[in-house]
Amino acid sequence: MFTAQNLISICITSILTAGLYAVMSYGLAIIYGVMKVINLSNAGFLMLGAFMTLVYSQAWHLDPIAGAFLNMPLFFLAGWAVYVLLVRRVRQALPIASLLMLFGLWLVLQNVALSVWGSEDQSIITRYTYKALSFFDYRLAVTRLVVFAVALVVMALLHVLLNHTYVGKALRATVQDPQAALLAGIDTERISALAFGIGTAFAGFAGGLMTLLFSFTPDFGAPFQLKSFTIIVLGGLENLAGVTIGAAILAFAESFAVLFMRASLQNVVAYALLVVALIVMPGGVTSVFGRRS
Amino acid sequence: MKAAGLRPAAAAAPALGVALALVPLIAPHNITVLNLGFFTFLYVAQGLAWNILGGFAGYISFGYAAFFGLGAYTTALLWLHGWTPVLTFPLAGLCAAAFSLVVGVPTLRLIGPYFSIATIGVGEAMRILMLNLDKVTGGASGLNLPTVVPSKGWFYLAALAIAAVAYVTAVWVRGSRFGLGLAALRMDQDAAETLGVRTALFKNVAHVISAFLVGVCGGLFAMYFQYLHPDNVFSFTESISLVLIALIGGIGTIWGPILGAAVFFAVQDYLQTSYPAFHLLVYGVLLIVILLFEPRGLAGLAARLAGRRRVPAPVAVTPAAPGTVAPPPAQGGAL
Repeated sequence: MFTAQNLISICITSILTAGLYAVMSYGLAIIYGVMKVINLSNAGFLMLGAFMTLVYSQAWHLDPIAGAFLNMPLFFLAGWAVYVLLVRRVRQALPIASLLMLFGLWLVLQNVALSVWGSEDQSIITRYTYKALSFFDYRLAVTRLVVFAVALVVMALLHVLLNHTYVGKALRATVQDPQAALLAGIDTERISALAFGIGTAFAGFAGGLMTLLFSFTPDFGAPFQLKSFTIIVLGGLENLAGVTIGAAILAFAESFAVLFMRASLQNVVAYALLVVALIVMPGGVTSVFGRRS
Repeated sequence: MKAAGLRPAAAAAPALGVALALVPLIAPHNITVLNLGFFTFLYVAQGLAWNILGGFAGYISFGYAAFFGLGAYTTALLWLHGWTPVLTFPLAGLCAAAFSLVVGVPTLRLIGPYFSIATIGVGEAMRILMLNLDKVTGGASGLNLPTVVPSKGWFYLAALAIAAVAYVTAVWVRGSRFGLGLAALRMDQDAAETLGVRTALFKNVAHVISAFLVGVCGGLFAMYFQYLHPDNVFSFTESISLVLIALIGGIGTIWGPILGAAVFFAVQDYLQTSYPAFHLLVYGVLLIVILLFEPRGLAGLAARLAGRRRVPAPVAVTPAAPGTVAPPPAQGGAL
C-alpha cells in the first residue's frame, strides 16, 4: 500500500487534479475578491459549460478542449448580464441576499438543464479518451494530461491579464480596497461586471474541460461548488494566488485519504476540510468583513 | 407590520387549524387531499422550525436534511427493534437536537454567509456518511420498515398536530425575551452582545429547538413512508425545500412558512405529473423575483395588497428595507 511507486503515482495524480481544481475555482475567487459575493450559481454555470460542450460536440464534432474555449466568450456575456440584471440590484443589501439570489439562479439553471437534457448521465468520448502514456513505470491518462496542460495555459493567460493590463491592475486594486480604487478613478461598478463575466467564463471553461474526465448530469455542479469553496477558503479568500495553493492542498488531501478510507467517502474530505477551515481560520473570514466597513 | 399583522392572525390560526382538522371527518377516503394535507403540514412544521433560526436569528442554514434524516432513522431503527413508532418521536427529536449542538457550537460562530456555506458541507457530508454506514442505515439499498400502519386520516391529523406545535412554538419564541434577543442579534450581533444578549447561547438554543421539531417531522415521515434511503431523507433538495418555503412565504414572519409550504406543495402537485422537476424551477424564479422586489415574501406581498403598508416597491432593494433577509449591513456587527 505504501510503496514508493504508489506514493509517487498518488502525487502525480494529485498535481494533475490540482490543475483542474484551480481552474474551476478561479471564477469563484475573482467574484468573491472583487465584490465579496459568494457565487452559488457557479455550480450551475459549471454544469452548463459541460452541457454546452456536449452540444458543440454533437452538432459540429467539436473537440471538448475547443468547446471549453468557445464557452469563454459566451459565458463571459452571460456573467456580465447576470451581474447587471440581478446581482447589482441586491449588492447594497446584505451579503446573504446575493447568496440566496445566486442560489435561486443555480436552481433555475439546474432545472432548465433538467428539462432540456433530462437526468441521464451524459459523456463525451473523444479519440484520446481511453489512451494512456507511459513514463517509466507510470501510466497516465492522456485526458488528464491534456486537461492539466490546458489549465496551466489558461492560468498563465489569467496571470498576464491580471498583472500586465490596465483592466487586470484595476481588478486587483478593487480586490485590495474598493474605496481606494474608486478614489483612484477606477470605475469599480464596471470592474464588478467584468469580474462577474470573467468568473462565469472560467466556470464555463472548467465545465467544458471536465467533460473529458467525468460523465455529467444537471446535478453535476454541486460537489464541485463545495470543493471550489473549500479551495478559496483554504487559499485565503482574498488572495487570488492562494487558489493554486488551496487547490493543491485539497487535491493531495483527497488522494491520500483514499489510502485510509473508502473511495465513496472521498467527497467528505472536502466538506470536512471546508468546515474545519472556516472555523479554524475565522480571523481570515472576519478580517475580510472588517475591512469592508 | 408586527402589531398590525399579529392580532387577526392569532385569531385566524386556531380557526384554520380546527377547520383543517375536520377534513378527514368530511372526506375520510379522499386520499389525494389527505396526502397533500399531510405533506403540506409536515413542511409547514419544518418551515416554521427552520424560520426560528433562519428568520428570527438570520442564520440561513442549508443543512436541515441532516436533522430530518436523523429523526427519520431514529424512528425507523427503534421501530425495527420493536418500539411503538409514535413513542419514538421525542427521541427522534432529541437525536436531531443533539446533533444540532454538535454542528451548531462551532459553525454558529461564523458570520451569516459563511455559516450557510458550512451547513451545505455538513449536510452533504452527513448524506455520504449515511450512505456508507450500510450496517446501520441499510446504505444505498435503503431500509424497509413494517407496513402495518394507521390510516391516511391519522397521518393527516398527526402532521397537523406537529404543525400546530411548531406554530405555537414559533409564536411563543417570537414574543418572548428569547425571541427579542434573536431579533437583536440578527440586526447587530455586537450591539446585542453589549446589551447583555448571550448571542452564542441564543443562537444555539434556536438551532436546537428547530432541529428538535424537524427531527420529529423526520420520525413521522419514516412512519408514513415505510422505506428510508439516505439519498432521500438526507438529500440537499430536502434542505433547500425548507429555505425556499420560508423565503418565498416571507422570512422571519409567522405566516410566511405556512403560506410558503402551501404554495410549494400546490405548485409541486400541479406540476408533478407533467414536469416532475419543474416546481424547483418555478421556485428558483420566485426566489429571484422576491429578492428583487419583495424581500418579505408572499406574506409581505399579502400585507401590501391588503393595504396595511403603503410602501412603494423600490424600498425593497435599498439597504434600509426592514425585516429583510438578515441583519442590516452594519458590517462591524458580524461575528
